[in-house]
Amino acid sequence: MVPAGGPIRRVMLPAQSACSVRLRSPAGVFRPAPAVCVVAGVLACFLACNAVVGFAQAPVGPMAKPWDAVLIASFNIQVFGESKMAKQHVVEVLTRVVRNFDIVAIQEVRAKSNDIIPSFVRAVNADGSRYHYVIGPREGRTNSKEQYVFVYDTNRIEVDPSTVGISPNPQDKIHRSPMHARFRTRVTPAEMAFTFWLVDIHTDPDEVPQELEALTGVFQAMQAARPDEDDVILLGDLNAGPPEFSSFKKIPGIGWAVSGTTTNTRRSKTYDNLIFAQPATAEYLNRWGVLDLQSTYGLPLENALEVSDHNPVWAAFYPAESRQQGLPPMAGQMPVRR
Amino acid sequence: MSDSSSPDIGTLVGQLAAGDATLRAEAAERLCRAGSDAAVAAVPLVRACGDDDDQVREWAVAGLEELGPPPQGSIPQLVELAGSRHPLVAYWAITLLGRSGKDAATASKVLAECLGSAADPSVRQRAAWALGRLGSEAATARKALEKAAAEPDPRLARLAREALDSIGV
Repeated sequence: MVPAGGPIRRVMLPAQSACSVRLRSPAGVFRPAPAVCVVAGVLACFLACNAVVGFAQAPVGPMAKPWDAVLIASFNIQVFGESKMAKQHVVEVLTRVVRNFDIVAIQEVRAKSNDIIPSFVRAVNADGSRYHYVIGPREGRTNSKEQYVFVYDTNRIEVDPSTVGISPNPQDKIHRSPMHARFRTRVTPAEMAFTFWLVDIHTDPDEVPQELEALTGVFQAMQAARPDEDDVILLGDLNAGPPEFSSFKKIPGIGWAVSGTTTNTRRSKTYDNLIFAQPATAEYLNRWGVLDLQSTYGLPLENALEVSDHNPVWAAFYPAESRQQGLPPMAGQMPVRR
Repeated sequence: MSDSSSPDIGTLVGQLAAGDATLRAEAAERLCRAGSDAAVAAVPLVRACGDDDDQVREWAVAGLEELGPPPQGSIPQLVELAGSRHPLVAYWAITLLGRSGKDAATASKVLAECLGSAADPSVRQRAAWALGRLGSEAATARKALEKAAAEPDPRLARLAREALDSIGV
């Protein structure tokens, strides 16, 4: 259970709200959960639309999501703290962003208060949604620290709380040690459900090559962390684009979802991505996108920058393990875009 | 959405000195949103890292992360701020000097001092990193780097070794 390279630090989880799902059986395995009835194809247009320019604005009320895909996103919400939460119009956009996805890996929570994320998730759930979260400790070498967060839709996703932790950081090469957690989809029978590690990262822009090298080791350590899990998705703000991913290439089959476009709000850099290996993560549906804050929500650049200097990036995965039989064929098992 | 008007950089720099912390935080946030256009505000943003208000500090840090190298004319002031007793101010002054590379050759002495005697480990580590970015211009810091390379802090020792490698023989 402990990856090579150092111990995993465990992370305390917030108390589950009354509406949250049951997470884990006493035996330490995921508790079987009933499949959630959702309307297939409602978001088909979303998945098929131009990935770069975003998608139609979210409807009012909990979103109906497709049964045949889970959408995993990464979003650096620049300086997500008290001043941002005080701006109702910004919170409104952020909540609409989150409701589009099944899990959002958030970077850059920078707040003295411990109530930022609980308040934010309450705002997300104000329409009847049932999101919950796991949050990491404050990470960073100076007294300016950041926290990672996974916000997830409990109707469709569950987390194994015993797996939430801070990844090994040998030789202290990574400024903000990544946070990981193991999730399982709830839209298929539990014995078939897609399970996977997520590893959330925000690199230090001044030490990118060293950190990417170290993250390659983190990825491999997570691949080896437990024999029953072959799916590792490293996602976040890497401060680097695919041309700089050479260190990852030592991982057999490695690939990344986002390429050939920009991911920051100014549309000038490709810094955010989701990285995973194939054929292990054959659940990847070869569908990905960048939710452009300006075009999606009709915001001028200055107002989009109030939300964040990064756009969310996402990829779609089939909700059942690829080795499982008896489910409809996957939409595609094409290689990860290079 | 509010906030459609954009004060110029000079106005925002002035606002960083306001008595009201809310105004200072707003100025730091707007400078942060200005991206590399705020490079001329590098020194005021480094000073803002020592602000009493945590939101001012956080926005200043976020702005500095995205700023890139500072204008060459700001190097003398950054050299001065590298010796600040406030660790976050020193850390970011040193970071900007490191980003300046060989243009910050005059910072070699103060960086060696920070490496040798700063109380905060993150400041010492960043000084080793910055000396590595100066390359051969950091030759005068060789002795301090050799000492740091033998210290028990693994990150400090590694960065010092890398800096020595970048200086060359």
